[in-house]
Amino acid sequence: MNYLPSDYLPIIVQLVLALGFIVITMLVTHNIGPKRNSKLKDEPFECGIEAKGDARTPISIKYFLVAILFVLFDVEVIFMYPWAVNFKKLGLFGFGEMILFMGLLLAGFYYIIKKGVLEWEK
Amino acid sequence: MFPQVAPSIPQVIQLIPLNNYLWLSTALFVIGIVGVLTRRNAIVVFMSIELMLNAVNLLLVAFSSYRSDPTGQVFVFFIMAVAAAEVAVGLAIIVMIYRNSRSIDIGFLNKLKF
Amino acid sequence: MLSIILLSIFGIVVLFLGFQKSKNILLPATLLCIAIAFAANFVHWNDAPGLYFKEMLFENRLTMSFSAIVLLSAFLVVALTRGFADDEAAQPAEYYAIILFSLVGAIMMIGFDNLIMLFLGVEILSVSMYVLTGSDKRNLRSNEAALKYFLMGAFATGIMLFGIALLYGATGSFNLTDIRGYVGTNSFSISTLLYVGLLLVLIGMLFKVSAAPFHFWTPDVYDGAPTVFTAFMSTIVKTAGFAAIYRLLSGSFEGIYNFWWFTLAAITILTLVVGNITAVYQQSFKRMMAYSSISHAGYLLLSLTAMTAQTPDAIVFYSLAYSLATVSAFGVLMAVAREKSVQSHENAEDFEAFNGLGKRNPLLAFVLTVSMLSLAGIPLTAGFWGKFFIFGTIVERGNLIWMLIVAILMSAVGIYYYFKVIIATYMKDGETGALRVPPFYRIVLIVSTTLTLLFGLIPKLLS
Repeated sequence: MNYLPSDYLPIIVQLVLALGFIVITMLVTHNIGPKRNSKLKDEPFECGIEAKGDARTPISIKYFLVAILFVLFDVEVIFMYPWAVNFKKLGLFGFGEMILFMGLLLAGFYYIIKKGVLEWEK
Repeated sequence: MFPQVAPSIPQVIQLIPLNNYLWLSTALFVIGIVGVLTRRNAIVVFMSIELMLNAVNLLLVAFSSYRSDPTGQVFVFFIMAVAAAEVAVGLAIIVMIYRNSRSIDIGFLNKLKF
Repeated sequence: MLSIILLSIFGIVVLFLGFQKSKNILLPATLLCIAIAFAANFVHWNDAPGLYFKEMLFENRLTMSFSAIVLLSAFLVVALTRGFADDEAAQPAEYYAIILFSLVGAIMMIGFDNLIMLFLGVEILSVSMYVLTGSDKRNLRSNEAALKYFLMGAFATGIMLFGIALLYGATGSFNLTDIRGYVGTNSFSISTLLYVGLLLVLIGMLFKVSAAPFHFWTPDVYDGAPTVFTAFMSTIVKTAGFAAIYRLLSGSFEGIYNFWWFTLAAITILTLVVGNITAVYQQSFKRMMAYSSISHAGYLLLSLTAMTAQTPDAIVFYSLAYSLATVSAFGVLMAVAREKSVQSHENAEDFEAFNGLGKRNPLLAFVLTVSMLSLAGIPLTAGFWGKFFIFGTIVERGNLIWMLIVAILMSAVGIYYYFKVIIATYMKDGETGALRVPPFYRIVLIVSTTLTLLFGLIPKLLS
């Protein structure tokens, strides 16, 4: 296999097309459409309900906790990829090690549940 | 740089010299360092540190595939997992500070100056 | 290596013990865990040095001694956490579990034979330390210290990792023995990547043990952290960090001593001068101890720079003497500051806190005096022999006598600020009224002081 620089031409064409489409649509809509500003039109669409407050209101710390826990448990999956690829070669020993690893992970999960972090309404 | 490259490496990888990977990840790493040293927002400093770690990951993967030795890639997995743990603790510390002081600008961290 | 497995399991057990109603069992349980790990540490004492866990960790008498020092100082520090669980909002089980986990990291750093293990050990220890530093959640000073420590620590880890990646690129292995083999066989055509990589790894590690010019975070973090954890940091992180640097340099890079000795010598001199001179100007005892810990890092680096056959013994003895003295100094500070902070929150940790301590509680005053004398390196204490052995390695190296002169001048400066504390204790008048010390404190302080004096009288006891 040998790639020449010219082989990358389709990618560049695709890139130019995608960028061009976005730029052109933005220019066209801004220039062709009529502009009528009023107080009502400038408001964010809220189904007729008046908008109030700031979009950046502080949200519950629970979202944050769950997100962090997700990151922690999510990343551990990467250790399973090399294990799965070498599953046959590692045999029973590898299986036992993975069970141990999962057991430790589950101990952490059990701790979280016991602490009541995942109870949404408390 | 490494004449003893094993033949099992895909030819595609060799089309880009190893030095280019080295320069790219060094550049990313230096950008990360500059970010840590100049930025005032704790979250941005934090992102710069992550950039440094990812520069390391890139470098390890490049070396690893040039030498057709998987150890480097396994190390990358460990770095990613540990970085996630570090992120969890770091964000928790930042949230704790935000609750107590309503700011995450590191410029205000001057209670401990003498 | 048994102690690593045991400590990991104990950590989880202690974590789940926290769900019980009564929190009183936690402290004795943690102490028991550390004691068992301490005993398990010596299981292989009489065996030949060996590699464990698929050649990931190495164990010989030296690593066992370092682990023993770490576990001993952890035991003493944990015993000082008495009264920790009294607060309703405190979560002692979590903190004890984190302490146990951090010890796993420390032992991994001490005995690594693969750079992956070095990285994991450093991270386990550091991440635990970030949490413990910020454990005083409502206190903005503690928060700030935690953030500073976290940002600086993560930065240092990044630098160290880049160095490890470059070492891997140069040698093709993370294994210390393989790297040593590469350095040995290619001694005339060593890749530039290896030199740069070694420097970056060293910078990362020196950050962690707070050697100048990478020390700027230390005083702030030591000042802001709760005093128990300051004691924990300044003993365990230092000991493990120096064990790791020694293992790295002696295990892989002895062949290129001519390359790194000058860098290390420059850093050593800078550390000694900055640590000792700045410590003189401090008003707060905790900040003074922070700078003093920087200067002790300088003495340990001195021995690493010499890198003779006596170096490991000197580092072991010095770490032990330093850990014992530091634990008792912080123990006295906690006993005094606790009394004081009830009355006023201002300056509970200044030198004035010790005024008149000689009359209020002679035991505390004696303990403080012995620990200050040991840190200053006065004869009849363990600290004297620590400095003696360290200077001995420099003399053995021969061409580094100029460093020895700087070090001796700097320890003379050290005597000045350590004696300031002793003078405050005995000569100055302060509050009156006897100071009550909880029995747990008394036992810990008596044990560490006795050990300091014992090693001061019979230094051969350790071998």
